[in-house]
Amino acid sequence: MLRSWARALRQAVQSITRSGLMSLASLATVSVSLLVLAVVACLAVNLNLMAQELESQLEIRAFLRDGVDPAAQQALIEQVQALEGVRSVTFISKEEGLEIMRERLGEQRWILEGLEENPLPDSLQIELADPHQVVAVAEKVAAFPQVEKVRYGQGIAERLLAVTRAIRIAGLGMVLLLMVATVFTLANTIRLAVEARRREIAIMKLVGATDWFIRRPFVMAGILLGTMGAAVAAGLVYMGYRYLVRFLVTNLPFVPVASPAELMQPLGSGLLALGALLGMIGSWISLRRYLQV
Amino acid sequence: MVRFVNVTKIYPGQTKPSLHGINLEIDRGEFVFIVGPSGAGKSTLTRLIYREELPTSGQVWVGGINVAKLKRSQVPYFRRTLGVVFQDFKLLPDRTVFENVAFALEVTDASRREILRRVPAALELVGMREKANQRAVELSGGEQQRVAVARAIVRNPALLIADEPTGNLDPENAWQIMRILLNINQMGTTVIVATHAREMVDALRKRVVALENGTIVRDEERGVYGYA
Repeated sequence: MLRSWARALRQAVQSITRSGLMSLASLATVSVSLLVLAVVACLAVNLNLMAQELESQLEIRAFLRDGVDPAAQQALIEQVQALEGVRSVTFISKEEGLEIMRERLGEQRWILEGLEENPLPDSLQIELADPHQVVAVAEKVAAFPQVEKVRYGQGIAERLLAVTRAIRIAGLGMVLLLMVATVFTLANTIRLAVEARRREIAIMKLVGATDWFIRRPFVMAGILLGTMGAAVAAGLVYMGYRYLVRFLVTNLPFVPVASPAELMQPLGSGLLALGALLGMIGSWISLRRYLQV
Repeated sequence: MVRFVNVTKIYPGQTKPSLHGINLEIDRGEFVFIVGPSGAGKSTLTRLIYREELPTSGQVWVGGINVAKLKRSQVPYFRRTLGVVFQDFKLLPDRTVFENVAFALEVTDASRREILRRVPAALELVGMREKANQRAVELSGGEQQRVAVARAIVRNPALLIADEPTGNLDPENAWQIMRILLNINQMGTTVIVATHAREMVDALRKRVVALENGTIVRDEERGVYGYA
């Protein structure tokens, strides 16, 4: 088993070096498609990060009726805490609420000085574990008798979630599309190699080679080409991304970006694995037809 | 060794059968010529034996195996028990003589040691040992066919099938190939040769199975070619 893979590897290297220019051309094509894939993946990761950032800002404020006694308040907090999708519940008394408002108003806090009594209700600040459940949680909270009113940015929250979902789907769609394109690029390259060795394959079959024996060198060549292309793409994208992040951090510091090191480790190893996998699938596809003898 | 039971073969897209109602039994150790005019079905008959084709109806048994019942994944292992020689040699032109013969062992994942032991022996048998390092493309037709025979026998098959092995060769080389095949037969291998090399068939007086229009018209021990 080991021997046959070693032989396949040798043959794969041979066939890649023998058709040097052709291999170089396909390597370039694979690199470019994986490069585009990686760029899109970087974009998708960052868009996702942005979407998460936006989503994490979603929270629910529940305003309580006046005159709810402390025991009922405590019970409410516990019940809300137990709801699915809730991360934390903070009780904000009317005094604290006023304090927060005063801080927010800053210079203009004199507006509040005319007040004879605190007009604010007690409230709960509810943070969500899963932003997608904002509407469901809000409805459940509103149903408690102690709650007078619930606010979660009605309308805006729904739209925000729709946008972030679209962003994710679009990113995923592009990544998938490019993966398919890469497979076919590789399949095409390897098909040429297979075409050149058709006669040899036919003879192999006649002398009793198994499909696997015939497939192995081509699959190996596919894996090699895919991995090498991925390495080139990963290198380029790393340099490009590092440069871009440096630019963004100094010029647009409020935009959340994934750090190069953090992103490149999974992306780099992912690209290599993906290159190998796509190369394998590509050679598999290009061989299927020739093995039907 | 080989048994055809009521075999009919119709190629897809054709109405006239290439073989029709073939019943044939070839025993272990026999040497059999399959003769007949072009298009009589000689090649089809050999292709059915090494399962390049499947019968449309009837059964082909080779070494106790019904070839139609073989799974796709079993076919390679079945073929390894046979040796096949073709009219056009089917060598890999850019490989050496040694590599071409070693090829048949490599596909079986034989060890390097075994290859080094068996390939020279097979080349010795066909008289090609001195040219082991020449590339196939540099050889004459007769030499190429001898290499092809070496490749067919390097695994010691119990059955050797040759489809027009001398069809592309001049008489001298043709005789040399035929002597090698006889030699192999003498060592115990069953040999089936499809041919229209009349002189050789007539001179050797081996069993002759004659085909015409896809049916067996004659089957004689110590037969002759018998066509004008």
